[in-house]
Amino acid sequence: MPPRLSDMSPPPGPFRPTFWRSPLRSPQLTAILGLVLLIGLPVVAITGLLSNDAYQPGLGANALGRNIHGPLDIYLFGWPTSPSWLYALTQGVHVSLGLALFPVVLVKLWSVIPKLFEWPPVRSPAHVLERLSLALLVGGALFEFATGILDIQYWYAFPFSFPQAHYYGGWVFIGALIFHVGVKFSTMRRSLATREELAAVVGPGAAPRPEHPLVAPNPSAPTMPRRALFGAVGAASVILLLQGVGDSLGGPLRPLAFLLPRGAHRSGPLGFQVNRTWAQSGLSAARLLGADWRLTVSGPRSVTLSRAELLALPQHTYDLPIACVEGWSTTQRWTGVALADLAALTGAHGRLSATSVSVAPGTYGQATLGHEEVADPRTLLALAVNGVPLDLDHGFPARVIGPAVPGVHCTKWVRSIHFQPEPA
Amino acid sequence: MRALWRRYGAGPGHLLLSAACLAIAAAAVIGWTQRPGDLMSVLIWFAAAVLLHDLVALPLYSLLDRHSIGRLHPHLAVFLRVPALISGLVLLATFPTVLGFGAHTAEQLSGIREQGYLLRWLVLTAGLFALSAVLRLSSRRDTSTP
Repeated sequence: MPPRLSDMSPPPGPFRPTFWRSPLRSPQLTAILGLVLLIGLPVVAITGLLSNDAYQPGLGANALGRNIHGPLDIYLFGWPTSPSWLYALTQGVHVSLGLALFPVVLVKLWSVIPKLFEWPPVRSPAHVLERLSLALLVGGALFEFATGILDIQYWYAFPFSFPQAHYYGGWVFIGALIFHVGVKFSTMRRSLATREELAAVVGPGAAPRPEHPLVAPNPSAPTMPRRALFGAVGAASVILLLQGVGDSLGGPLRPLAFLLPRGAHRSGPLGFQVNRTWAQSGLSAARLLGADWRLTVSGPRSVTLSRAELLALPQHTYDLPIACVEGWSTTQRWTGVALADLAALTGAHGRLSATSVSVAPGTYGQATLGHEEVADPRTLLALAVNGVPLDLDHGFPARVIGPAVPGVHCTKWVRSIHFQPEPA
Repeated sequence: MRALWRRYGAGPGHLLLSAACLAIAAAAVIGWTQRPGDLMSVLIWFAAAVLLHDLVALPLYSLLDRHSIGRLHPHLAVFLRVPALISGLVLLATFPTVLGFGAHTAEQLSGIREQGYLLRWLVLTAGLFALSAVLRLSSRRDTSTP
């Protein structure tokens, strides 16, 4: 009979407990980092799922080609339009808190790295499943953080579609996190149960359980108090949190985001940030958006309107944010025709969704707004912003803007809007 | 029955939770197959994230620390390690901007060229080290006064 792994002594190197020397590692350190993540990561996960909801993947082509009937394509409700900064808030929290927790995740992984090399590598079927789920947890976390961090900074180094990869990756992480919390919650609570153990987290003292697998049996001389480690992680988290907060709240706080894009803007009423410039479309504005431009509004009836005819309709003005999935937002004063008034021109009534199509094709060349958005009087086909007519980069001759609508659904350079009944 | 769970190594709750976790992962794999070509690259990125972190990045920064700051006197080491750690963690989350990897796309999308991020990060780093030096000097004065 071959010898069992558990009977063999561990091979030299990281499989031997004596390999790990840092006196900072302890079950208490891991537990307190775990507690921070246990509070923070579910918020990041839930705001991520809410973003999926805000995109209303069940309508039109909003799912960007995703099959919305898969087991993980959970899409519970429509998306409210009040408060108008709702999506700016949920997505700002998703990005800012995600950035802030990234250092905590990395230090948490450092704190448990000896467990990766535990010996014997496999103790029981339960242990195999546990290690497999840990691979999904660590892989899911690193994958989500890596893709999210690259995406908000426009480095599209990945060859896959970001929304789909990040959405399903999020589910892998959520599933593994639930398992991990289920298995480890009592360990975390035990590690922080007594006053001495809490003191050991920040104090210089040795851990109360010296035989624990995370405690180095022959630690090197301490060169850094544990509270200095907490201070460093906390400071990095706060700096990164402020990056997200500055980008999300904008205005005078924008300079806080000094290490993220979207800080700069031009001066004047049209100087605020744009997500896509007209130049990016590579199309001729003179040909497509000149005096010949007409908006087709369709429903039971079809109506064609010039810009002058749109300006002759009742105009409404509201302060509404552009809130981008990347976490940045900017609130401006928009003036235009209520989408509900355009629906009435076509004779459409009741529970309506509206599909707006842009002159410029592409991923967000069209978007479908749900019935809450169409019915809200603040949802506009904007013709002006901050008191001046739109310019090309802001969507001239006309663009959609609405309360709590994700930025990419605010179609620019609108060619047509079609109203259709939205199934209940 | 109890002997069976003993052989498994944990209780039925454990098995149920791990089955749910694996089922969700399997459903995610199905989700990734929707766009042809996505699945393989996603799985490669997934595996690479774990391997690069656990077997490359972590040993690398541990060694780097051990053979640089780790060789200094503990009282000095902490004042270098804390600012280095803060600056490094911030860089890890913002390097596409700081090192300009996303600059070209960002300029195309926003119509505005944004520059000077590397300098900003260097100023932040210098500020952190300067603050640490001030703290070190004041703590030395505290301990040297009777």
